[in-house]
Amino acid sequence: MEPVNLFDLAAKQSQWLAVRQSAIASNIANVNTPGYTAGDVEPFDKVLDRTAVSLNATQAGHLGTAATNAGFTVKPEEPTGSIMPSKNTVVLENELMKAGEVRRSFELNTAIVKAFHSMMMMAVKS
Amino acid sequence: MDALTAALKVAASGLGAQSERLRVVSENLANAQSTGDTPGADPYRRKTISFVSQLDRSSGGSLVEVSSIDRDPAAFPVEFQPGNEAADDKGYVKMPNVNVLIEMADMSEANRSYEANLQVIKQARDLISMTIDLMRNQ
Amino acid sequence: MIGGIGGIGALQLKPEIGGTDAATNLFQGGAAPLTGTDIGTTFAEALSQAASKTVGTLQNAEQVSLQALKGDADTRQVVDAVMSAQQALQTAVAIRDKVVSAYLEVSRMGI
Repeated sequence: MEPVNLFDLAAKQSQWLAVRQSAIASNIANVNTPGYTAGDVEPFDKVLDRTAVSLNATQAGHLGTAATNAGFTVKPEEPTGSIMPSKNTVVLENELMKAGEVRRSFELNTAIVKAFHSMMMMAVKS
Repeated sequence: MDALTAALKVAASGLGAQSERLRVVSENLANAQSTGDTPGADPYRRKTISFVSQLDRSSGGSLVEVSSIDRDPAAFPVEFQPGNEAADDKGYVKMPNVNVLIEMADMSEANRSYEANLQVIKQARDLISMTIDLMRNQ
Repeated sequence: MIGGIGGIGALQLKPEIGGTDAATNLFQGGAAPLTGTDIGTTFAEALSQAASKTVGTLQNAEQVSLQALKGDADTRQVVDAVMSAQQALQTAVAIRDKVVSAYLEVSRMGI
């Protein structure tokens, strides 16, 4: 596999995490809406497999796609566990757990970007 | 609209819907003993609230809205209170169809949902702040 | 590590004995004690070793970070790798600056 630009991958992941956060927000807002089906983004590795070509950017400064949601589809999840009479499939605990995962991944992502950015600046300064 | 701002908008709609729900529940609880003023008159009829989800084009998220506030059609329970001004000729008074235990359970669930929406707002705000922080301290 | 940088400032190379760990100490593993006539080759060897160790540490940090972004790496490993890379880079940059300023000083000396 050709080398992947670290900053491009970080930008892609942070977009994906933001879309996931909005999917979680929609689920939590609609926790009491009858007939609402919980949704989630497709997994990140599926996204990477699909866009493997566009990620092999070796030009410095190429920041990938603009900040739109157009890369990641939000699909309804299959309902597990008991079916409520209101046909609402949101489980609040799962949504809160997913939100915690998003937060942790986002913190790691920004920390990595910050560290490598400062390393690049260090090497360039005289 | 970027995804994090969309999350804020969606969670804000959740807060609005849940606080409407809390308002309806507190109205029901406050009027749990409100009988009519004339003999045989109907008492307070319990209110119910319905939510509906609304797909927002600009953000891609599912907002939640209050679709309607209706009255519960269940029958009024009847109590024997001959001294009450609403008592009919046999001394029975129609009481509101409000079950305090159900309303309390509804209230605690509304609180839980409200808190969860609040957490989403806090987290989305923190994530935006982290992103902006990348530029600071250079 | 500070001792290592200070040693460069005086253009003396002493192999570090104990103290700092292998990832940050770029001069361990090969820099022989100096003799008067051998300064040239030993210095060049030491420099090239330092450079390759820095590159290795940086590449490792990049690899581990890529894994973390894809979703499966231990957080502590990522943090350790990135910090080692930062330390190595900082050392290398300090060396480079000192070497450049030493060269300029020497070139300004009268013959």
